[in-house]
Amino acid sequence: MKERRGQGYLFVAPSVVILFVVALCPIAMAVWLSLRRVILVFHEDRFVGLANYRFLLQDSRFFAALGNTAYFAAVSLLIEVGLGLPIAMLLHRAFRGRGVLRAAVLVPWAIPTVVSARMWAWMWNPDYGLITRVLHTQDVDFLGMPAYAMHAAILVDVWKSTPFVALLLLAGLAGIPEELYRAARVDGASKRGIFFSITLPLLRPALVVTVLFRALDALRVFDAIYVLTGGGPANTTETLSIYSYKTMMRSGDFGYGSTLAVATFLVVVLVSILYLNTIGRGAVGTTEDKR
Amino acid sequence: MKAPSMGARLATALGAAIAAVFFVGPFAWLLLTSLRPEGEITEVSLPSALSSSSYANAFHGRPFARVLLNSLVVAGATTIFCLAVASAAAFALAKLELRGKRALLSAALAVSMFPPIATVSPLYLALKEVHLLDTPLGLVIPHTTFALPLALWVLTGFFREIPDELYRAARVDGCSPFQAFRKVMVPLAMPGFATTAILVFIFSWNEFLYALTFTSSPSHRTVPVAISLFAGEHTEPWGEIAAASVIATLPLVIFTLMFQRRIVAGLTQGAVKG
Amino acid sequence: MLTAGVSLAAAAAGGCRSRPPDRENAVVFKHQPLWGDPAPFRDMLASFERTSGVRVVTEVLPNAPDVMHQYFLTSLEGGTADFDILVMDVIWVAEFARAGWIADLSSAFPPEMLRRDLVGGAAESVLVGGRTYAVPWYMDVGLLYRRTDLVPEAPQTYQELEAAITSAQRARPELQGLLWQGKQSEGLVCNAYEAIWGHGGESLAADRLALDTEPARRGISYLRSLVERGLSPRQVLSASEEESRRAFQSGRAVFMRNWPYAWAESQHPSSPVRGKIAVSTLPSTSQSGEPGAGTLGGWQLAINERSPPARREAALALIARLTSLDANIEMAVHYARNPPRAAAYEDARLKERAPYIASLLPMVRQARPRPVTPYYAMVTDVLQSEISAAVSGLRSPEKALARAQKLADHLMGAHG
Repeated sequence: MKERRGQGYLFVAPSVVILFVVALCPIAMAVWLSLRRVILVFHEDRFVGLANYRFLLQDSRFFAALGNTAYFAAVSLLIEVGLGLPIAMLLHRAFRGRGVLRAAVLVPWAIPTVVSARMWAWMWNPDYGLITRVLHTQDVDFLGMPAYAMHAAILVDVWKSTPFVALLLLAGLAGIPEELYRAARVDGASKRGIFFSITLPLLRPALVVTVLFRALDALRVFDAIYVLTGGGPANTTETLSIYSYKTMMRSGDFGYGSTLAVATFLVVVLVSILYLNTIGRGAVGTTEDKR
Repeated sequence: MKAPSMGARLATALGAAIAAVFFVGPFAWLLLTSLRPEGEITEVSLPSALSSSSYANAFHGRPFARVLLNSLVVAGATTIFCLAVASAAAFALAKLELRGKRALLSAALAVSMFPPIATVSPLYLALKEVHLLDTPLGLVIPHTTFALPLALWVLTGFFREIPDELYRAARVDGCSPFQAFRKVMVPLAMPGFATTAILVFIFSWNEFLYALTFTSSPSHRTVPVAISLFAGEHTEPWGEIAAASVIATLPLVIFTLMFQRRIVAGLTQGAVKG
Repeated sequence: MLTAGVSLAAAAAGGCRSRPPDRENAVVFKHQPLWGDPAPFRDMLASFERTSGVRVVTEVLPNAPDVMHQYFLTSLEGGTADFDILVMDVIWVAEFARAGWIADLSSAFPPEMLRRDLVGGAAESVLVGGRTYAVPWYMDVGLLYRRTDLVPEAPQTYQELEAAITSAQRARPELQGLLWQGKQSEGLVCNAYEAIWGHGGESLAADRLALDTEPARRGISYLRSLVERGLSPRQVLSASEEESRRAFQSGRAVFMRNWPYAWAESQHPSSPVRGKIAVSTLPSTSQSGEPGAGTLGGWQLAINERSPPARREAALALIARLTSLDANIEMAVHYARNPPRAAAYEDARLKERAPYIASLLPMVRQARPRPVTPYYAMVTDVLQSEISAAVSGLRSPEKALARAQKLADHLMGAHG
């Protein structure tokens, strides 16, 4: 039986309207601003074409921020998926108190980031922090040393976001039919075999989406680092979003700040395209492709 | 099927314990801090007595109950709208014939890729024009919009996993696409709905930037902004912040507990055998 | 589910007006939460409402300056008339004035009057081009706290400070020396300027920031050397005001540089250092002779340029009331806010009910403002990162200051 063509458009119409009106308009405005020199305080507002982008390409602070952001995203993501998958599998098993553990595990994601970042900052405090007392590291100032500070921020993000990954993967695991497992066990497959030949392939769509959205968030990280270190010491933990924020909201330079936002966006787009065309290939095709 | 071995059970228990300690530990410490007597807030040792003074102080002189209600309204409305809009579109993307599917999903993804700070000023101006500043609706709209991409992608994935035959069978039985959607697809995609609902609710509940910029009067304030107002110019009443955070997290935990069972009530339940 | 959605939608759509009728004729005052009992402040506003017949509505913003700055930038640039009086950090006045977001108040608060009545650098910090753009509500100044049981006399010079620390540490090696705020933030810039002024430096010289100068280099090197020589613990590099205060209050250090608020906290019954601390002016090099200057901080009241004339009159009246001598004293007594009016410090009421604040007069007189320039927000970003690099040893002070000077000149010169 043939579907009437118009049906589908009706279903997607609300989404299209919302996305284009509310989301893409501000984004378009940001792109437009990035082509202008706009300094609020001095009422500068003139078109400068690609001058901002030319400046960007030789802005060492931008490249430093880019490096910090890439490192942060890569390491966080690796740890979050590495931890999230086993946890999802754990939560998928039947045992007493599973429901409570599922809700409990989601708590880090549920606490407002500003609160959890402050909490971790407190725990890291060299004078009276919980971690300092437990590890007896009174002489080490984690947040004051560049290398440590970045990893402290990664830890906060891992703590906060692994539940997100675990939850999405759990939902994906729930979609794998039990019969497949039973049949494989009847056939005498090993645990490892089952995991690699059944679980992982069928989990792939959920895995791809989860990693994608986590990556998007990690590349735009702001709250956790800003609260912990403010981008310091000496801008060594400054990410693209923090640089953009300071440029726009502290200096009032909306032109270059928007350029930085657009640059962040382009970086994220590039990473996503690479990702979807390599690891994620085929996992998110539409019904058109299936035929 | 064999019962799990002792070793497997032990491993499960150990894994569960470690996960619980790592993820819940800091929150338990936050909870402990909120129950300490006033002079001991920064101590690391166990408290000498449990005290509810932090909770009393968190509400004292502040409309925190009203704030919780505001957050509930905004987050609840966002979740409902977002799910409604996204599920309809996801259904069409997964099951109906449509041109520009990839374009829509990509556009949604693009929205998720943009740093939010760059959208604050244009959105402020737009909301000002339509007189929606300092209203709950003025928050629900941006929240719904920026939660939509994740909802779209997750739900599309779930709908796609449902075999086409089920949908066609429903149509053969005489359902219109909308009825098929409501009666067959939605129940089968319940794990996706539950997951999305939890994530969207939490996102909207904890959103700070828009809540701060678009809302100014106490009667419309939301939880994250309210908590940020606890701090004095230099001092930080950590006990009260801990108490407020615990109170603010409870609805989320309850919400999650309510929905988490539905996450795994998937294709294994109900009539799937085709 | 459907009914829930509809009722939520109705709730969400409620209040879709630009200014609800009950706020139409009220003066809206945006400020940060005052720490302490809200009743005295409410009484102050209530008595103003009674005598002037104008309603006052207060709205609070979070106490984080960055967050407030971002909010004001977005809303004032967006042309809002939703609030009339706003509270501003002292470093924003030149910036907001230049942007045209705040109104010229010179007719109601003439510059000469401010210069005559206010203490120290408070007047200069709100005058832009000789016109008044804001009125100081309360002040802050950088102070040197010390443990009187370890150091009876206040050190006047850096040498005396170091000698005191060394001798105290000899007796008890686990003691920390001077605690200050080295985290990359505005607090660091305050500490840095205090060190620069203490070594004879200036903030501005001929419309340029005076960074690549000998005194500045000596000042920043000094801060770095405090950490290198163990006179300050390493953790000052990630400390802001609260971290310093807590460590000092638990008895761990000999000296602390902090704002006046730390005193009240340290006098709590449970504080280990209660009754054992005193404050004094910051030290300076013995050559310059005069005492060190603390950084001028504090919050000012300004009027939104877009506020309609009808409400502006009322707003001016409210500001006058809130900055009157009586209000100064009320704020000092109930909220431990330092008065900007010189007369307040001599007032018997203050001396009797807030003696600590009255005793701060010498320090407050010495308060110096950071560079008063509309470029300050842009420039402080550069200052924060370069000075952070210098004090944490990532870059030499000479190189850091040279870079900072170059970037600051570029930012300030680009607009003429």
